[in-house]
Amino acid sequence: MLQFVNDHIVCRPVICKSLCDRIFIPVVEFQHVNKWFGTLHVLKEIDLQIESGEVVVICGPSGSGKSTLIRCINRLEAVQSGEIIVAGKQLSDPSLDLRALRAEIGFVFQQFNLYPHLSVMENITLGPIKVRRVSREEGEKTAMQLLERVGIPDKAGAFPASLSGGQQQRVAIARALAMQPKIMLFDEPTSALDPEMINEVLEVMTDLARDGMTMVVVTHEMGFARRVAHRVVFMDEGQIIEEGKPESFFAEPKSPRAKQFLSKILFH
Amino acid sequence: MNYHFDWSVLWTGQSGQWLLQGVVTTLEISVLAWLLALGLGTLSGALRTVPFAPLRALATCYVEFFRNVPLLVWMFFWYFALPPFLPQSLQDWLFNHGAEFWAGTVALGVYHGARFSEVIRAGIQAIPKTQFEAAISTGLSTGQAYRLIILPIALRLIIPPATNESLNLLKNSSVALTIGVAELTFQTRQIETYTARAFEALTAGTLIYLALCLTIAFVMARVERRFAIPGMIARVGAAEH
Ligand SMILES: Nc1ncnc2c1ncn2[C@@H]1O[C@H](COP(=O)(O)OP(=O)(O)OP(=O)(O)O)[C@@H](O)[C@H]1O
Ligand SMILES: [Mg+2]
Repeated sequence: MLQFVNDHIVCRPVICKSLCDRIFIPVVEFQHVNKWFGTLHVLKEIDLQIESGEVVVICGPSGSGKSTLIRCINRLEAVQSGEIIVAGKQLSDPSLDLRALRAEIGFVFQQFNLYPHLSVMENITLGPIKVRRVSREEGEKTAMQLLERVGIPDKAGAFPASLSGGQQQRVAIARALAMQPKIMLFDEPTSALDPEMINEVLEVMTDLARDGMTMVVVTHEMGFARRVAHRVVFMDEGQIIEEGKPESFFAEPKSPRAKQFLSKILFH
Repeated sequence: MNYHFDWSVLWTGQSGQWLLQGVVTTLEISVLAWLLALGLGTLSGALRTVPFAPLRALATCYVEFFRNVPLLVWMFFWYFALPPFLPQSLQDWLFNHGAEFWAGTVALGVYHGARFSEVIRAGIQAIPKTQFEAAISTGLSTGQAYRLIILPIALRLIIPPATNESLNLLKNSSVALTIGVAELTFQTRQIETYTARAFEALTAGTLIYLALCLTIAFVMARVERRFAIPGMIARVGAAEH
């Protein structure tokens, strides 16, 4: 019945999702990854495994390579050495269908990046219609459900510019979810938001995590990390310095650099 | 000086008909060249920004070649220099079917395409890179991202400079008179030759060009308003629908 092959897709969902979640099957795997921008060594010997259903928060000082790391997962950045495996696919494989891979990975940007000339509804349905080839009717039905889920069903006809930052980011999340991704990546999704809007976005993300979505989140929201993350990864100068469960990471960080970082971020 | 104005030269004899034919030819050559220029300009302007170096280089060559040759030389080139290299039958056909018109149209379109290209490239480069990344992150191809997201935004942003270019194109269509295209300037000069009424003829030509250009500017302003992106800084009243 259950076959074990080094590919998480083999675990047929019919059998039992929760069982699958407990078996360690990496959805994302970094193996000795190095990346340079010119002479700048931004990622150094990165080894990282992210399991299905896991929520991983990546934190670290500015310029430590967090964005670069997360952008490597859907190959917005290419790496020079090492291997990254996403949903069983090696990203260095020349025959890789990059579009198909990206369709499986939702990406939420700090600056929302909604399409300004399209309505909220069109923003959400564009990908499903053009990439997944669903009908407009079906796409709009799904989009409405997603807008309900992120709490702004009344904004379907609005244009991005008429929305608050928090609403725009929730539309961006709905847009990513509309592709029914296997993984969701967030690069500082609340950093461009006014404080009162941060929570509405974090709540949506918390719900998503509770529903079992695999998530990699670069954020400085340590409260979110504490409550929601299964694991916290701390980076500095292109290296993973330490990782662990949020309870232990926040209570007793092992490395001096993490201690120093936490003292700045928690008590500023 | 004692000049007696005689405006009737503009409608007596064949003058009226000549002017009308001139306007029609000017519009024909301008519209066709404009479509060519917009197509070439959009394509090459987009190619200059794509993440694939050979295509960028190709588009750069096009732009740098054509915008750095005087339009007049380029028109002569198309009309006098190129046809001998065509097969005889095609040459014959062309010279029976207004070769000067087609040479003029292509020269004008290709020349202004190179200029449109820069305008469109500037529009694309005004869009943050992450906008493109957001599009391809949902699985859209580079082509789809350009067609559905990047170009629709860029083309809206560049309407004011594109209007400028369009007006220049229309005015530059007068250069085609040098290879014998009977457009508006050509007809104006013909009236002048026949009537010896330079002031009246050239005043008529001037006013007609002015009217054509003002019409284009008006239409483009409407287009700009119609397609304004909600929430962008707009010309006064542009955001009101
Ligand atoms: N496209 C690029 N070209 C050259 N250098 C880059 C590029 N992108 C990032 N860098 C550099 O790589 C390093 C890591 O950048 P990265 O954006 O990954 O850091 P980060 O941890 O996300 O920082 P922040 O918290 O400020 O977002 C930085 O020194 C940055 O200046
Ligand atoms: Mg960053």
